[in-house]
Amino acid sequence: MRARRAPSPGLAPWLFFFAVLGIFPLLYALALSFLSYNPLRPDLVRWVGFDNYARALENPSFWRALRTTVIFVVGTLPVTLTLAYLVAALLASARRAQGFFRAAIFFPATLSMVVISLVFKSLYAEEGLLNGWLASAGLPRVHWLQDPSLALPSIMLMDVWASVGYYAILILAARKTLPDEQLEAARLEGISRLRVERKIVLPHVRPVLLFVVLLNTIRSFQIFIEPFVLTRGGPLESTLTLVYYLYERAFYHFQMGYASALAFLLLVLVGLILLVQRRLLGRGSAEAAA
Amino acid sequence: MSVRRTSPAVYVGLALVALLSLAPLLYMARVSLGKGGGLPVAPADWFGQPLSLEHYRDLFSGGPMARFTVNSIVVTGIAVPLQILMSAAAGHALARVRFVGRGVFLALATAFLILPRQVTLVPLYLLMAWMGLLDTYAALILPHLADPFGVLFMAHYYQTMSPELEEAARTDGWSSRAIFWRIVLPLSGPGLAVVGVNGFLITWNAFLHPLVLTTSESMRTLPVGLALFAQSEHSVNWGALLAGSSVATAPVLLAFAFFQRQIVEGVLKGSSR
Repeated sequence: MRARRAPSPGLAPWLFFFAVLGIFPLLYALALSFLSYNPLRPDLVRWVGFDNYARALENPSFWRALRTTVIFVVGTLPVTLTLAYLVAALLASARRAQGFFRAAIFFPATLSMVVISLVFKSLYAEEGLLNGWLASAGLPRVHWLQDPSLALPSIMLMDVWASVGYYAILILAARKTLPDEQLEAARLEGISRLRVERKIVLPHVRPVLLFVVLLNTIRSFQIFIEPFVLTRGGPLESTLTLVYYLYERAFYHFQMGYASALAFLLLVLVGLILLVQRRLLGRGSAEAAA
Repeated sequence: MSVRRTSPAVYVGLALVALLSLAPLLYMARVSLGKGGGLPVAPADWFGQPLSLEHYRDLFSGGPMARFTVNSIVVTGIAVPLQILMSAAAGHALARVRFVGRGVFLALATAFLILPRQVTLVPLYLLMAWMGLLDTYAALILPHLADPFGVLFMAHYYQTMSPELEEAARTDGWSSRAIFWRIVLPLSGPGLAVVGVNGFLITWNAFLHPLVLTTSESMRTLPVGLALFAQSEHSVNWGALLAGSSVATAPVLLAFAFFQRQIVEGVLKGSSR
């Protein structure tokens, strides 16, 4: 079709919403991050420059939230990635009922995180299934969500359960782009299955594995529902995440400027991860799954 | 594919993983179909206790949960068709017309895909408050209309669709509007299904924005209502809570049963879960 200068009117409705509810709020958030602003006392609004950022960086809660995220990523990523890879490998080698197994394993990824959190809250409850099993084995009950040293690991365990299927599907899709002939040839030459996996399959799906690393890390920075439903950020801030902290500041304490500064720190962190990823792991990785 | 037979160990492993994936959901269903607020802990309880629809009856006999469900249905029912239509119109415009600023626009929309949504939480709240829309359906629906996934997906979709038919219609003197409604849209079913079902999942499961943009109990959506219900710490009624969770899950299961392929395609193309 011939090139035209003006966009067709079909773009207008969406463009309007994107501008008003996407771009504008982003700029608004940036402006807010330099203000001290409580919507209940609009008369007291004032420009504070980088004060909000400085205060966030001096606040132990901010660093605790960051530390929680790092622990979360370091703890879940290797486990999730390994399990997802294994599940994808299993799925790939199943010639019968592959569709059924794929569906069963992927389904949790479509669920509401609230529902997942509620189910696990019931499993972790004092009188719940896990404690029931411990009791019947003659072991003492465990305070999964009330013990500051166990609350975060309990959430991490749930996260692994909730994400393995999702990542397995991504990895499986990458495996399937490997030409059958190549695998067939390798096998006819008598190369062992493990060696085929290591020399051919693994390098082939490497970009997607890197994408999963990136995705998982970025998502970990945005965790909110889990601490909201399971622990309210506690006990002793052991499950305080950056977004939960932001939510608390904005909607309990009405520190809109401070919360916006936290939001931009989150944005910068996610941007940094993307940048490091590009530098270290090659630019193909982010587009690999697309 | 291979000359070797699949070893039975593969199926044993897969069956185990599948069981692990589905077990918590089966447990949820079992608790919701029990009596009272307690949890069935021993296997004897899972299978032995009588089934009952008690919790579901309670949910819908005038309790707040019925209202949450209606809210979720209204919001999703309005937001998703709008999303689908706007994605098709905007995606088509982007794919067929090389206007000035198109590149900038595509880059912006793509950047928004990666942008943590929480960044716009506070400004959206203030914006809605300023417009007097807090605690209305508009506040629950509007933010979903700014999501760029559908538009980018449809732009890509139309780029791979041949424009010949549209050009023929144009030479026949059809208007752009007629071409869009009578040729483009009817040919876009598979693409729109991907946008629609992924939009459905995101809208139906949305939490943070609905939590913040509503203040009264009567405007809560199902996920928000459930989460806040669970926080009233004194004696949680697990049966009621997991019955509500099952109600929140049923449409997702249905969508999954019919549109699994489209959901996976959305995942692979980078829809935000």
